[in-house]
Amino acid sequence: MINSVTSSEPIIRLKDVDKFFGGFQALKKINLNVEKGERIVVCGPSGSGKSTMIRCINRLEQHNAGHIIVNGHELTDQVKDIDAVRREVGMVFQSFNLFPHLSIIDNLMLAPKLVRKTPKPKAREQAMSMLERVRIPEQADKYPSQLSGGQQQRVAIARSLCMNPEIMLFDEPTSALDPEMINEVLEVMTDLAKEGMTMICVTHEMGFARSVADAVIFMDEGEIVERNTPEEFFNNPKSDRTKLFLSQILAH
Amino acid sequence: MSFEFSLIIDSIPKMLAGIGITLELLLLSMVIGTILAIFILLMRISNRWYLCWPAMSFIYIFRGTPILIQIFIIYYGFPQFEFIRESIFWPMLREPYGCAVLALTINNAAYVSEIFRGGVNGVDRGYLEAGAALGLSIRQRFIYITAPIAIRLSIPAYSNDVIGLMKATALASTITLLDMMGIARTIVAEYYAPYEIFISLAIIYLIMTWIIQNAFGLLEKRMSRHIRQ
Amino acid sequence: MDVLTGWWDDFFWGSIVILQVFLVALVMMVLFGLIGAAAKLSNSRIAQKLASAYTVIFRGTPELLVLLLIYYGSAIFLTNLFQLFDPSIKFVDIPPFWAGSFSIALIVGSYAAETFRGAFLGVDPGQIEAARALGISNFNTFIYVRIPEMWRLALPAFGNHMLSLIKDTALISIIGLNETMYAAEQAAGTTSKPFTMFIVAGCIYLGFSTVITLSVMLLEKRANKHLVGSR
Ligand SMILES: Nc1ncnc2c1ncn2[C@@H]1O[C@H](COP(=O)(O)OP(=O)(O)OP(=O)(O)O)[C@@H](O)[C@H]1O
Ligand SMILES: [Mg+2]
Repeated sequence: MINSVTSSEPIIRLKDVDKFFGGFQALKKINLNVEKGERIVVCGPSGSGKSTMIRCINRLEQHNAGHIIVNGHELTDQVKDIDAVRREVGMVFQSFNLFPHLSIIDNLMLAPKLVRKTPKPKAREQAMSMLERVRIPEQADKYPSQLSGGQQQRVAIARSLCMNPEIMLFDEPTSALDPEMINEVLEVMTDLAKEGMTMICVTHEMGFARSVADAVIFMDEGEIVERNTPEEFFNNPKSDRTKLFLSQILAH
Repeated sequence: MSFEFSLIIDSIPKMLAGIGITLELLLLSMVIGTILAIFILLMRISNRWYLCWPAMSFIYIFRGTPILIQIFIIYYGFPQFEFIRESIFWPMLREPYGCAVLALTINNAAYVSEIFRGGVNGVDRGYLEAGAALGLSIRQRFIYITAPIAIRLSIPAYSNDVIGLMKATALASTITLLDMMGIARTIVAEYYAPYEIFISLAIIYLIMTWIIQNAFGLLEKRMSRHIRQ
Repeated sequence: MDVLTGWWDDFFWGSIVILQVFLVALVMMVLFGLIGAAAKLSNSRIAQKLASAYTVIFRGTPELLVLLLIYYGSAIFLTNLFQLFDPSIKFVDIPPFWAGSFSIALIVGSYAAETFRGAFLGVDPGQIEAARALGISNFNTFIYVRIPEMWRLALPAFGNHMLSLIKDTALISIIGLNETMYAAEQAAGTTSKPFTMFIVAGCIYLGFSTVITLSVMLLEKRANKHLVGSR
């Protein structure tokens, strides 16, 4: 297995990926290459398969056909490869999913201790520095339910970062948030992007897409309809479906 | 019809002499039953049919039949077999005490494993996905995420189960054991004063219920102190 | 199975008795449950207090104790009562069948009261308001909107109450009712095959439990059929 990736080899490669839920096909022949350090924004109407696609990348969903190769590991039933990929891929969910029975600091320390076998003092130190990075070190000893949504989502990002991932996946990280909290989360994500993190973000925050993304992907009915640079995507969309979609979300 | 208070005053200490046995039956079958329940739960939720099916049958049989029959099968039924009478378990199975503990334990294990399964099913899938995304193995997710959340979710049902178990200990009196119920029945047979004796005993049981309920209530409150509804 | 020869009819009639007790107790249980729930939901403080006392008492007292208290207690009460009129009467008691059915119905009814109360409060008030807004009368709203919805909400717990009832019938053998447990005890005593006999009794109970469980599953499916496919 190749562990260090050469610059020519994409860090994420999806090749002809199909995904079925029973008889329903949620992903149709998806092809996607992401280079190391690239920042991709994925958008598209509800039910178009955005979540399904990024959940396949760390195998929260199993694809039914095609190949997914992440950081040199092909995702198959091999538990070893799945574990290796999940260690290197962080994921942030719409609903935060912080462990409710653990304090913030324990949420951050859990995976490094169990998966990376980091000694406790080291894990704590690292967790604190991540909390500083997302600008809430003072909340370390609170519990998730005592934090606002925006704070919880920032903790969730910090929790993923504690594993030092190569890649971060975001599934609508701001859509469960009250409007006044969206920016604090986007700022953290923008910082990450500037530091060169490889990111795939499902989001409808078009301002974020414009300022941060290297490429915008539009999905509809389980297909990637269009992949474009942000300027081209917003000013000069290629497909009619993209135009329709943009007119709908920009009208809001 | 008169209510004889002197009889109550006399008989309460007599019945309380049996509270030790009642509590022993309760605690033993609660603790051993809960441990057993964890194994049954793990079998029940496993994907392997040879683990899952025996657990399902166990649960089905012991929840589907009256506990009185289970007690009778063990106490009156088992000695029918030579091999049981010659086994190392015979000293325990010969005694009504051992039989009562065994029956209550097994019965309770069946109920508790289902209570815990309810708790496990109640754990939001999102937490487990977050655990998976962080690279935790299935086992680590179960131990560090599912179990603590499921335990908290199970407390109210578990508390009711312990109360049910306490009530079930009274059935030990049917196989000659002198727990509080057994003592009460002998006093009633002697003085023929069912009202006085049984009502006093009911009050003792109600106090025990109250204590159990509040203890678990406090525990639940403690465990959910960080969790907003 | 040879040992069972001659005992089959005892087990058969025993099962019939169980069924009779179950049905009688079921009716009484629903009645007690509804009365209890109505009292809990009423505006009267006294009714509320009585109903919660009802729940607390029967939840915290062993079933066997309730049964014995009611059986022997009622015997004493009735004997005393009858002796007022005819001092020559030695002993009057309620037949074990009725004392037993009444006791287990009273016990399980205390749980049912909570279930019914919960189901009543669980009905979405929006549905009721919608029906009122459509001009449907209070009575019709109750019959056509609230009752079916309550039924749906109460069914799973109600199924458990029925299982409790059927299993509690075994206790009534202790006060001498000729049901399956009683048959098994007699058979065990005379054949020296107690294991076999109690296993037969156990199987009969398992059969009853299975029928109840399956029926409730069917009823639930019917009551929820309009929800299929929705999330
Ligand atoms: N576990 C599942 N079982 C069955 N169908 C599913 C499942 N998960 C997703 N689907 C279906 O697959 C399709 C794609 O779902 P997906 O969640 O990927 O959409 P999405 O683009 O993320 O939409 P949204 O913007 O609403 O999050 C939808 O039609 C959805 O109903
Ligand atoms: Mg989605």
